[in-house]
Amino acid sequence: MRPESRLLAGRHLLPLLADVTHLQSMSLADWDGTLRLARQARLLGVLAHRIVRDPELLSSVPEAVHGHLRSSINFAAHRLQMVRIELAHLEAALPAGITVVLLKGAAYIAEDLPFAQGRMPNDVDLLVARRDLDAAESALAAAGWEAETTDAYDQRYYREWSHELPPMRIPGHALEVDLHHTIAPVTSRTRADDALLESGLRPLPGSRFHVLSAADQIIHSVIHLFQDSEMAGRLRDLVDIDGLIRLHMRDEADWQTLHERARRHRADRLLWFALQYCRAWLATPVPQSCTVGQRPPLPTRMLMDLLMRHACLPLIADDGEPRVRGIARGLGQLRYHWLRMPPTLLARHLCHKGFARLAPRSD
Amino acid sequence: MSSSSRSSAEIAPRPATLRDGGVWIDYGACVVRVRSPIAALADQIEVVYRAFPIQQQGEFADYHVSIDFGRGLRRHLRPTCRFAIDGVEPFEPFPAASALPMFEWGVNWCFAQRGNQFVLLHAGVLARDGRAVIMAATPGSGKSTLTAAMMLRGFRLLSDEFGVLDPVSTELRAMLKPVALKNRSIDVIREFSPDAVIGPTFRGTRKGDVAHLAPDRASTAAVRQSARPVLVIFPRFSEGGRLELKPQPPEQAFSRLAFNSFNYALLGPLSFDAVADVAAGCPAYELAYGKLDEAIRCIDELLAESRGAADAA
Repeated sequence: MRPESRLLAGRHLLPLLADVTHLQSMSLADWDGTLRLARQARLLGVLAHRIVRDPELLSSVPEAVHGHLRSSINFAAHRLQMVRIELAHLEAALPAGITVVLLKGAAYIAEDLPFAQGRMPNDVDLLVARRDLDAAESALAAAGWEAETTDAYDQRYYREWSHELPPMRIPGHALEVDLHHTIAPVTSRTRADDALLESGLRPLPGSRFHVLSAADQIIHSVIHLFQDSEMAGRLRDLVDIDGLIRLHMRDEADWQTLHERARRHRADRLLWFALQYCRAWLATPVPQSCTVGQRPPLPTRMLMDLLMRHACLPLIADDGEPRVRGIARGLGQLRYHWLRMPPTLLARHLCHKGFARLAPRSD
Repeated sequence: MSSSSRSSAEIAPRPATLRDGGVWIDYGACVVRVRSPIAALADQIEVVYRAFPIQQQGEFADYHVSIDFGRGLRRHLRPTCRFAIDGVEPFEPFPAASALPMFEWGVNWCFAQRGNQFVLLHAGVLARDGRAVIMAATPGSGKSTLTAAMMLRGFRLLSDEFGVLDPVSTELRAMLKPVALKNRSIDVIREFSPDAVIGPTFRGTRKGDVAHLAPDRASTAAVRQSARPVLVIFPRFSEGGRLELKPQPPEQAFSRLAFNSFNYALLGPLSFDAVADVAAGCPAYELAYGKLDEAIRCIDELLAESRGAADAA
């Protein structure tokens, strides 16, 4: 990979995320752009928590920046409260017989993981076994959750070709709930091994919820970043992966487990990329042995580099977006759809969406 | 658009400056850098920000915003402008001639969205000698009119829209912006004082006719100084009505301040404590008035009383 210092985010945002003491070398003018990038990447709350944890470090932050840190800490605290409220509602609504797994942000909050302090979740992600999906959905519907989309095509798209139901929300609630039955889109070439996922579940003490095994949490974040998003602006997913690795990967055996499970979930190549960028951008402690050998072919690596550098990282576009970024975002969208859908299905989907855009909306 | 003359010692935001690097404006609680290719906006800023030290170079801005011309073919038929902060466009485009109201609402939006280090009361704030009066807003209260009039009678203006309460210091910060006068208030204030510098009137905006009163130099000079809240007023304008002062018990003042704030719920216990401190520490009154000068005299007396009470305590 080429040096990151040529990228705007590479100057201070990535170094700060890798090691927050980097701020000691930053001027007020450096903070000006870095705050904008961090906010755009929805990482200001995470950074703020890492900074205020160390009063000495905080004292070397310029006064003008303190308000932004406090503001994002306050905002994240509000989001945290919203997640807790939603979890309490869910706890009451979901039938006791069903095993319900918290994914991503909700899991980190329920586990009280320090690296996730300051995250700003937009939704609560739940996972149930496919056999329990209908029961879980009707229990939520009975308790007041409503699907966000009533469009028949969208409903069918989610139910047949996705790994989650259309987002649901209790009217007036801040957060929506995404009910998953597996962790990768069902039509995609990556197929998570559901039985393996289930065998690794950890019950959360004092709660009706479970969380994935540590290795599966990492793999789910990897799949989410590379397969379940268009990658634009998803640096925060990489920061999650970094946090999970620093927390859970303690010895050689942990790494072996991670690689073995990634292989069985058919996500080993995606994991290779994630580890590569974690180490290069966030100085994640990844053993050298994890990213040598089994390298994906050069064209794949080049495409990924374009997407990661120009779509995943935030940018300040005061004078319009550079062309390479537009191209990278376009490729990200194309790749996203290509990975999720076989070609005939993709053609059908794009036709429908194309016509839907042309036709006037009835609502 | 009219453009008032200013002394040559001051640097006006020439259209080219606003277009290229932008200008940095210090509102007290935040610094905004604004860029725009709209030449008329530079003229309008020159009028309503005449007393602000406007920087053409800045090391730091809290918010970087732009007002650009609308896109697409329609812009040749009916030019529009759009407000953006870091790629986010929170509003539908406005007519290009209304760039100033769009800029003003845009800055309010940014601050209301992102200024969560503060409790943002919906209130005007004015002060004498560092002692602040919170003029809580309720619809139809005539808060902006009374706020404008108080500044023109020598109060220091801290803000017209936001009561910026710092939960750490429990003091009020300035968020000093041109006062947005609506409809009949525009002429009321014009007639109230010959010192009133009012920008162009924008007719038929979403909030009716709007014109902006320029803050005075005493207010801009003190923009970085906090003020201690000592009095809470809930103004209520009644056409031709007599002055009527009704004390508000603290619990009522609390709920009227809290539930009319921009981010009370978001801040949870932080805002509860901060607003409760204000309600417990400041006498509060509902003030019905028909004449601006009567209301101002009354507020001045209440301020003097509260100082006396504080001295006696």
